[in-house]
Amino acid sequence: MTALTPIAAAAPPAPARRPFLPLVRADLLKLRRNRGLLAAAGAMTIGPVLVAYTILVILHAANPAHHGPAGGIANLGHGTSLLAVIGSVAAVLVGASAGAGDLGSGVFRELVVTGRSRVALFASRIPGGLAFLLPLVGVAVALTAGATVVFAGSLPAPSTTLLAEAGIWVALQIAFYFVLALGLASLIGSRAQTIGILLAWQLAVTPILLSIGVLGAGRDAIPDAAFVRLGPHVLDEYVRRGPVVSMSAAVALAVIATWTSVAVGLGMWRTAKRDA
Amino acid sequence: MTPSSYVVETDGLTKKFGSRTVVCDVDLKVPRGSAFGYLGPNGAGKTTLIRMLLGLTPATAGSMRLIGLPVPERRGEALARVGAIVEEPRFHGYLTGRENLEIVAAARDREAARRIADAIERVGLAKRADDRVRTYSLGMRQRLGIARILMADPELLILDEPMNGLDPAGIEETRVLIRALVAEGRTVVLSSHLLDEVEKTVDALAIVDQGRIVAQGSIGELTRSGPPTVVVGSADNQRAGALLAPLRSVARIAVEDGVLRVGLGGRISAVNEAIADINRRLVEAGIPVYRLEPEHASLEQRFLEITSRLEEAA
Repeated sequence: MTALTPIAAAAPPAPARRPFLPLVRADLLKLRRNRGLLAAAGAMTIGPVLVAYTILVILHAANPAHHGPAGGIANLGHGTSLLAVIGSVAAVLVGASAGAGDLGSGVFRELVVTGRSRVALFASRIPGGLAFLLPLVGVAVALTAGATVVFAGSLPAPSTTLLAEAGIWVALQIAFYFVLALGLASLIGSRAQTIGILLAWQLAVTPILLSIGVLGAGRDAIPDAAFVRLGPHVLDEYVRRGPVVSMSAAVALAVIATWTSVAVGLGMWRTAKRDA
Repeated sequence: MTPSSYVVETDGLTKKFGSRTVVCDVDLKVPRGSAFGYLGPNGAGKTTLIRMLLGLTPATAGSMRLIGLPVPERRGEALARVGAIVEEPRFHGYLTGRENLEIVAAARDREAARRIADAIERVGLAKRADDRVRTYSLGMRQRLGIARILMADPELLILDEPMNGLDPAGIEETRVLIRALVAEGRTVVLSSHLLDEVEKTVDALAIVDQGRIVAQGSIGELTRSGPPTVVVGSADNQRAGALLAPLRSVARIAVEDGVLRVGLGGRISAVNEAIADINRRLVEAGIPVYRLEPEHASLEQRFLEITSRLEEAA
C-alpha cells in the first residue's frame, strides 16, 4: 500500500439542492440553438399554414367564381388537418432530437457523471421540448384562426369556441407525437431510426390500418383514430384520415393515455438503465 | 458518519462482459489530497474501472466507496463532489463552449452556474468561450472538459487519459494544473498509459494489467521494489565481469556504455552486503574500481518488468 499519509477528511457538506427548472431550461437551450431543427420545426408548423392560406387567398382573389373565400369553417378544418399532419412530423423531429441528442453527441455520459438522477435527466426533456415546440404551434394555430376569420368573406366565420377547440386539439396531437418520439428515441438511442419508424407509422401504416375494416374495434387502439374522436365534431370530415372508427371519448382518452404512458415509461426505464 | 481518509476505496471490484473479465477483484485505495496515477497498457481495464466508479456501468461484483460514500447506493450525493472526464470529453458541437458548460451546470447545484466564468478563465478559454465547440481543436476541447469539472468545485477529479491529443505545451499546462489542484487540497486520479507523464505528475500509483492491480504504492516504493542493479566502473570491465558472474548474489551481468551493469538477485534488504562483497572481490583481484553505485529501475522499467512477467505467466 502507498506510503503517502492520507489527509484526514472533514465532515461531508450537506447535499446541495438541485432544482429541476434549470434542467428544463438546458433542454430548451439545446433545441433552440439547433438552427437546423428550429428551421425545420418552423417550416413544418408555421410554414404550411402561411403557404396554404396565401394560396387560398390568391386563388380567391384571382377567380372568386371558382374559388371560395380562404376563411370559414371548411378552411379551418383543412388548415387544422394540415397542421396536425405536418406539425406531427415536426413533433417527431423535435422529440427524436430531444430524446437521442445527448446520447448521439456523448453528452449524456457527461450529465450522468454529475450524479443527477437519470429519471430527472429524462423527465426534463418533456417540458423542455414542449417549451420549444408549442410556441411554434401556437403561432401556427393563431395564424390559422386569424386567416379563417379575416378571410371568411361571405362564409360564416368559425366561433371563438370552435377556434379554441381546434387549436387545443391540434396542439394536443402534436404534443402527443412529440412525447411518442421522445420515448422511442430514448429507448432505442437513435434519432434517425426514431424518425424513420414514426414517419412510416404516421404516413403509411396508420392510414393502411385505419382502412382495414376487418380490424374492427381493434382500430380504436390507433392514436389517430382516437384523436379524430376527440376533435371538434364540426371538423370531423376534414381531419379524418380514413373511414369512421366509432369509439367513446373515454376509450379515446384511454388510448392516448396508454400510448403516452408506454412511451414515457419505456424511455425513462431505458435512460435509467443504459450504459452511459 | 466518519469521513474516510480515502476518496476512492474498492473491494473486490469485478466487471465481466459475458465470460470475459475486464476488471478482476480490484482493491484500490486512493488517499485524499494526492495525485494518484492509474497506470496500465491499453485494454487493461482502466476506463472500465472508472466507468463503474462513476455509475456509468454497473459492477458485476465487489463494493465501492467514493468520498466515503457507498456507490451506487449514494451515487448522486458522492458524484456531486466529483468531477470526471471519461475517455475524451464530449460536447454539443453546435453550442458554444459557455453554453455547453451551462448545460452541465444545470444538472449540478445552483453554485455551478456561478463558477462558469472562473472555470473558463482558469483553463485559458475566455477568448473562445462564445465560439461553437465544433470549431475547437482537440486540446481546447480537453481544456473545456477540465473547465466543466472545475465548475463543480470537486473534491475528487477523475481524469481518464487527459494528456491524449495534447501538444507538449498542453501536456505541461495540464501537469501544472493537476499539481495546482492537488495543492488546493483536491485529489486527482489520473488514468493513463503514458508512463512518463504519470511519473512526472503523480505522488502514488497503481499499475494495472489484464484487469488486475499488479502493484500499488508511491513512485519511490515501486521503483525501489524491484531487484536493483549495481553500476560498476573499473579499469578492466571484462575481467571484472568474469570475476563477478559466478557469484550467487549476481543474477545477470552486462557491459553497457563502458560500465558493468550487475543485476542482483535474492533479498532486496541484502543489497548493501552484496555491493560490499563486489567491491571487496574486485579490490582483492587487483582491479581498480572507480565507480560503484546502486541504480534503481525507472518506473518504465518496473512497469515493463511487471507486465512482461505477467505475459510470460499467461
